[in-house]
Amino acid sequence: MKFYDLIWLIPVLPLLGAIFNGFVSNRLGLSKSVTHTVALLGSGLAWLLGWGAIVQWILDLGIHHTHIVRLFSWIQGGSLRILDGSLAEVNIAASFQLDAVSALMVSFVTFVGFLIHVYSIGYMHDESDRAYARYFSYLNLFMFSMLVLVLGSNLAVLFVGWEGVGLCSYLLIGFYFEKDWCAAAGMKAFIVNRIGDWGFLLAIFATFMVFGTLEFTEFFPAAAAHPEHFASAATVIGLLLFVGAIGKSAQIPLYVWLPDAMAGPTPVSALIHAATMVTAGVYMVVRCNVIYRLSPTAMLVVAIVGGLTAIFAATIGLVQNDIKKVLAYSTVSQLGYMFLGAGVGAFVAAIFHVLTHAFFKACLFLGSGSVIHACGGEQDIRKMGGLKKYMPTTYWTFLVATLAISGIPIFAGFFSKDEILFKAFEAGASDLNRFGSAYYVLWVLGMVGAVLTAFYMFRLVFMTFHGEFRGGEEAEHHLHESPWTMTMPLVVLGVLSIFGGFLGIPGKLFHHPEWNLVERFLEPMLLPIGHAAEAGHDVSHHAVSLGLEWGLVVLSVAVASFGIWLAYRFYMGAEALVRPQRLAERFPLAHKLLLNKYWMDEIYDATVISGTVKGSRLLWEFDARVVDGAVNGTALTTVGSSFMSGIFDLRVVDGAVNLIATCYDVASRWFRKLQVGFAQGYAMVMVFGAAILLAVYYLFKLN
Amino acid sequence: MTLAQFVPFLPEIFLAVAGFAVLLLGIPLGRGGVRPLSLFGVASLGITGVLVWLVARPVEGPLVILGDMLVIDHLAVFFKLLVLAAGAMAIFMAAGYLERYGYGGGEYVSLILFATVGMFIMASGANLASLYVGLELMALSVYVLVGYFKLEIKSNEGAIKYFVLGAASSAILLYGISLIYGSLGTLDLQEIRESLVAVPTANPMLVLGMVLVSFGMLFKVAAVPFHVWTPDAYEGAPTPVTAFISVAPKAAAFAMFMRLFFDAFAPGVEHWRVVLWVASAATMIYGNVAALTQNNVKRMLAYSSIAHAGYALMGLVAFNQMGAWALLMYMLIYAFMNLGAFGFVILLESKGYAGEKIVDYAGLARRHPGAALGMLIFMLALAGIPPTAGFMGKLYLFAAAVEGGYVLLTLIAVIMSAVSLYYYFRIVVQMYLQDGEEEGAEPAELLRDRWTEAMITVCIVATMVIGVWPRPIVGWAKSAAGALGIM
Amino acid sequence: MMDFQYGWLLNLIVYLPLAGALLMMFFINKENSTALKTWATLVVGVDFLVSIPLWFLFKPDGAEFQFATQLKWIPSVGVQYLFGVDGFAVLLILLTTLLGFIAVYCSFTAITERQKEYYVFLLLLQTGMLGVFCSLDFILFYVFWEVMLVPMYFLIGVWGGPRRLYAAIKFFLYTLVGSVLMLVGILTLYFFNSTGLAAIGLEGLGHAATFSIPHLYTIAPQILPEVQFWVFLAFFVGFAIKVPMFPFHTWLPDAHVEAPTAGSVILAAVLLKMGTYGFIRFSLPLLPDATLKAVGWIGVLAIIAIVYGALVAMAQKDMKKLVAYSSVSHMGFVMLGMFALNEAGLRGSILQMLNHGVSTGALFLLVGIVYERRHNRMIAEYGGLAKVMPLYATFFLIITMSSIGLPTLNGFIGEFTILIGVYNHSWVWALVAASGIVLGAAYMLWLYQRVFFGELSNEKNKDLKDLNLREQWTLIPLIVIAFWVGLYPKPFFDRMAPTVDRVLQRVDAARHDQGPTAADHVAELAHAPAGEAAGEHGE
Repeated sequence: MKFYDLIWLIPVLPLLGAIFNGFVSNRLGLSKSVTHTVALLGSGLAWLLGWGAIVQWILDLGIHHTHIVRLFSWIQGGSLRILDGSLAEVNIAASFQLDAVSALMVSFVTFVGFLIHVYSIGYMHDESDRAYARYFSYLNLFMFSMLVLVLGSNLAVLFVGWEGVGLCSYLLIGFYFEKDWCAAAGMKAFIVNRIGDWGFLLAIFATFMVFGTLEFTEFFPAAAAHPEHFASAATVIGLLLFVGAIGKSAQIPLYVWLPDAMAGPTPVSALIHAATMVTAGVYMVVRCNVIYRLSPTAMLVVAIVGGLTAIFAATIGLVQNDIKKVLAYSTVSQLGYMFLGAGVGAFVAAIFHVLTHAFFKACLFLGSGSVIHACGGEQDIRKMGGLKKYMPTTYWTFLVATLAISGIPIFAGFFSKDEILFKAFEAGASDLNRFGSAYYVLWVLGMVGAVLTAFYMFRLVFMTFHGEFRGGEEAEHHLHESPWTMTMPLVVLGVLSIFGGFLGIPGKLFHHPEWNLVERFLEPMLLPIGHAAEAGHDVSHHAVSLGLEWGLVVLSVAVASFGIWLAYRFYMGAEALVRPQRLAERFPLAHKLLLNKYWMDEIYDATVISGTVKGSRLLWEFDARVVDGAVNGTALTTVGSSFMSGIFDLRVVDGAVNLIATCYDVASRWFRKLQVGFAQGYAMVMVFGAAILLAVYYLFKLN
Repeated sequence: MTLAQFVPFLPEIFLAVAGFAVLLLGIPLGRGGVRPLSLFGVASLGITGVLVWLVARPVEGPLVILGDMLVIDHLAVFFKLLVLAAGAMAIFMAAGYLERYGYGGGEYVSLILFATVGMFIMASGANLASLYVGLELMALSVYVLVGYFKLEIKSNEGAIKYFVLGAASSAILLYGISLIYGSLGTLDLQEIRESLVAVPTANPMLVLGMVLVSFGMLFKVAAVPFHVWTPDAYEGAPTPVTAFISVAPKAAAFAMFMRLFFDAFAPGVEHWRVVLWVASAATMIYGNVAALTQNNVKRMLAYSSIAHAGYALMGLVAFNQMGAWALLMYMLIYAFMNLGAFGFVILLESKGYAGEKIVDYAGLARRHPGAALGMLIFMLALAGIPPTAGFMGKLYLFAAAVEGGYVLLTLIAVIMSAVSLYYYFRIVVQMYLQDGEEEGAEPAELLRDRWTEAMITVCIVATMVIGVWPRPIVGWAKSAAGALGIM
Repeated sequence: MMDFQYGWLLNLIVYLPLAGALLMMFFINKENSTALKTWATLVVGVDFLVSIPLWFLFKPDGAEFQFATQLKWIPSVGVQYLFGVDGFAVLLILLTTLLGFIAVYCSFTAITERQKEYYVFLLLLQTGMLGVFCSLDFILFYVFWEVMLVPMYFLIGVWGGPRRLYAAIKFFLYTLVGSVLMLVGILTLYFFNSTGLAAIGLEGLGHAATFSIPHLYTIAPQILPEVQFWVFLAFFVGFAIKVPMFPFHTWLPDAHVEAPTAGSVILAAVLLKMGTYGFIRFSLPLLPDATLKAVGWIGVLAIIAIVYGALVAMAQKDMKKLVAYSSVSHMGFVMLGMFALNEAGLRGSILQMLNHGVSTGALFLLVGIVYERRHNRMIAEYGGLAKVMPLYATFFLIITMSSIGLPTLNGFIGEFTILIGVYNHSWVWALVAASGIVLGAAYMLWLYQRVFFGELSNEKNKDLKDLNLREQWTLIPLIVIAFWVGLYPKPFFDRMAPTVDRVLQRVDAARHDQGPTAADHVAELAHAPAGEAAGEHGE
């Protein structure tokens, strides 16, 4: 029994932890130590098993072999006639697959996940036992979902994890459910994600309609084999899938939930809303790279959305004062870079950026968590400053991570981000899919975005850690470095933020392509398209000369350093905080615009949300008044006519009746009147009726 | 002309004699004699039943007696036994009621017996003349019965109205008969049938005759637009009488109806069918709709009986075998469920008066669960909800109409029977859903009367048994209908 | 076609509650509430236990109808006493017996007055519903179909809320009108099979007169299109009201809101299934031609129901009304899947019937639980309950998730299978219908947030008791099933598969004389250049 035959256990282990903490230690209110031991066991064993499985898989089977573990047949929908007229069996298996991409994801998801579990022990220790148990069971449940997502061997299983992480983020964002805005944020996250899932579901159905299967190992080769045959289908599927990715990875226009998601505990923000879940969209696009490579349109859309989001979020990040909000927008922006990468065909670079981003962004969030922890829950950077001397470990790790995200050489972010930007330029140069000009524009956006990133990140560092503490006297007394359970993960992640990048050295620059481990590792996932050597990817090597490539590297470094220099000018030294003030006063409108995040939330509230709510109210009125009104109306008319007929019956014979009644015991001359009176009544009905019937009769007689 | 010829006529003779006997016995016994007289009456009805059976047993085909005036066949036997049962129940149910309101039993019982004799003749008449005689005999006795409570104005009112209108309808009927006689020169049903087959029936006089006869019959079954007497007569009459006239005369009238239109006028079906179609539809709609808002139970049941006549007419319109036996079966079932329902109306008393208002039933389920359950069963049956006999009866009528191809008529019928549920359930609502403690509601008391209760029980059992196990009834009705000409 | 082995089992299951009710009526004193409760629970419990063997004894590869009983009832008109079930019916019977048990079990404290009548009616209702699923003779079916209405009327009318009279009679009349129309349809079929309808000159097929459904299946292909159209229309009204489909749904909110908890549970879980059951058992296989013609219309109505129901649910202030409208939306999915007329759609539709029974049944139980404590169903009255009733909140969350179709829970399997079938029939339908999933999440989560999250502001809620053991045990079985179906639905699919295949065979039999059907169309596309083909479906 090899570890890689047990990959289904990787998600299941945390699940067990979740069940125990959720139903046992939460109900019984067991002590914290029990709770987090179980939780750590769940995620830790998953981590070990995961890495073990990967190692064995590489050694025994090699990275080119996709290892599938089929558990059982899950959904049996009978057979359907698919697009090519053949019958396909809807028989969706609960099965997991270990291949290059999933291996990479598993390796860091389990690892980072475990670290954040450890961190949480320190961070959440103030919670009540039950809440503590609830928290850890959610966290484990998240690990389960995320691992199902990355290990699933078909779209349906992937979707299970996809929705699962959505649920967990809902639960964790709303962890402090007594606060209305937390609960609201959770709901917002879930529903916005659901909009994306709507696209994802349709993509699944379309895939089945076209290929008659949802197994990656079955329809990717099929698609790759006949590129022109499936071109247009790929566009549909690709775009629908991307709708899902937009929701999950917080891209324009569905990014709005992510900043609000910061309502959750900080470790959660680190794990779910930075390192893992939000990158699921990127993972999925990369996983389906075959589909995208078949469809230039889909590729371009991905690139554009990514590029725009990257710069859009970055601009918002410039002026935010909530430390976590800044990080949130930077996450959105970084995710944009990843999609930009995928959109220009740099799938490896995209996933590589996912990896490095996981390290430094997790590090940043945990760092901010440690800061917030120290400042007693304060999140406004204007009330911080000079924390460097109180919490050195946090400071240095934070700084390292910041350098990484800013794209300073040798730090992890540099390699991945630079690769993406280069690929964008290359796409322009090689006029990829004849959209060259568009890609050039996107490259420029990316560069500008890089400046902004460097700027707002260092703004964050300077305002938080440098200068004087602005939080007031007694707050200052409480400042302290966090316990080791919190700093240890910081250090680990900090180290990884430095060296993580070496996994993907752009060896080409040194005529040693083999140095780029990531590229070599992920190479098998890029199935060759059709019979021709694949488009855009290899060809492009000749589009940009080596010299120019070096030039671009220098340029992007320069750009990043410029951003840092700006930040220094604005937020350090004597003039600190004055210059931005002046700038804001000079361009009040722009400042307002950014400060209020372009009023996007307000716009959504005014249009989509209130629109739906108002619409539903209207429909309800309609239902009660019209639809139901029709029913009751019929009833009323019937009853009404009942009254009428009752009256009719009385009236008709009334004259007679009364006369009879009064005259009955009186003399017979009255009786004559009675007869007269009666004759009228009687004549009225009988003759009337008889006439009608006769009329009817002759009517029918004639024709 | 030997006495032997009169043997088949024995039941009628016996019944008539019994009637006179009751009348005479009634004088000495006076008011005290209600129960003995009732027993006597029921006994004689029973004996008559035996006689009917004895007479009919040897008969194979139809036996025509008294110079082709009467015919004895399964149809006749069916209706005779039916009206006997109805009569017996009416007498039993009445006993307590008459005592309560201080009326003697003599005339009551004897009138019922005389009416029964008349209905016997209606059921087995083979000649327009004899049929008419039977009709009048029945009618006159019933007029008096309706006015039986001579001290109650409503009773008299109803009686007068019923009488004069009845007379008028008889006139129409007679006029129709005379037209037929004028155009065919015979009153004998068989001959009429034959000559109708022979002569092309386009003759307007003859057609008018048939149509007018149908009017007369429609009056007797209380079909729209000849129903106007019904609500007042039913409301005015003493409740047992209402129970009786809502069942027995109606059944007899339908018997006569079938004799005339399924036998004598069968060849002219194309001429009278449309009339009955319209009458049936109008009756169902009008009866049910008008019943919705009645607050007096007797009046409501009057309208409901109008509606039921409408359903029954579908059997005639369908003009097929199923129509015939479905109609027979329906008459039987209707007798049980309607008599049962009236049984409770008889027993219900509020503040010394008969509890006739719907609100009087408030909270009955609390105080008399058994009674409420019984009433519920009758209401469900009248509305035609399974597993009661009411459903079975309607089922076959509707089926017959569909088979005849009268889908539209059937649609009207089913919709209307759905509507009818509403007013039947107004009583149920009072019994089960109101606890009678609301303001304005003075819940009525349910009197104890063994005889009436026994009759009600019989009706309940019959209603449920036929509903679940209709096989024997269906068989009987089928064989009875077999006697008719069209089969 | 029929397998008479274990025929007695069905009869036992159907008539056990009736017998229990009669015994209770005659032998148990109406004051002795413990005896009443124990007896009622015992009866439904045993009934559930004896129905379990059906699950194991049913042979998916066996005869179409199993556990059959065939007796003469009214031979002269060809009415039989014909019992028998296929896998589809087996599933519904098990659902009914289980929910029946839960309905009794959840009423112990909720019903305090006139308990005897209450339990008698509940038991009678059981017999009625079970009979419907077992009957294979149209008249027998119709009898049970209407018998069912009476006890439900009383459950709503006697133990219901303030507007119970209105709701009860509305329920009764509305459904009755539907069913009497259905009766006319039945009679038309009956005579078309035998002697024909004279006056409108419709020749019959001259078979022996019978109401036997298995027999009528065999003549389905010969039924003239016009006849099919009218009969289908009659059936449609009858079943559409029961489902209820837009725009025949307005009785449902009233009935649900006014009914006592058990009533709502039964109503949602079982009675609504009668309509969809009718469609699958009668309309589709008996009237394939009309079915194929109706697909477009019913599909659109179903989609309207999905979106409309969801939106209206969002606007509700009363929890029960909200759940009621969510039923409209969910049953829309069931209808849509059914009329995709392919295996996935139909399987999903059947599974979703069960899922809706479980999830919505559970939702009504949950609402009933707080109603019992607070006698108030207004959402605004609550808030922050998660603090005082954590376990309740957990159960509610699980059921909410199952109702909005979260994977690994039952709802997802149903909706997924339905939608994959629907997409296969028409991608536009799927596109619109899938939006129901978003809306579903919206109104359910909004409900959840307003009830459980936020400050525990309302004083009255400060000391609400969390679930007691009995309440937990009314919910746990449903939650277990929710997960079972969500994780391993195979046993359910296996049992319904033969039904689905037969129904589709009968429908497809009518396709050839139709125009180009969906399937043919797809086939054509396949021959056309692939680019177009894909574009065609992706446009």
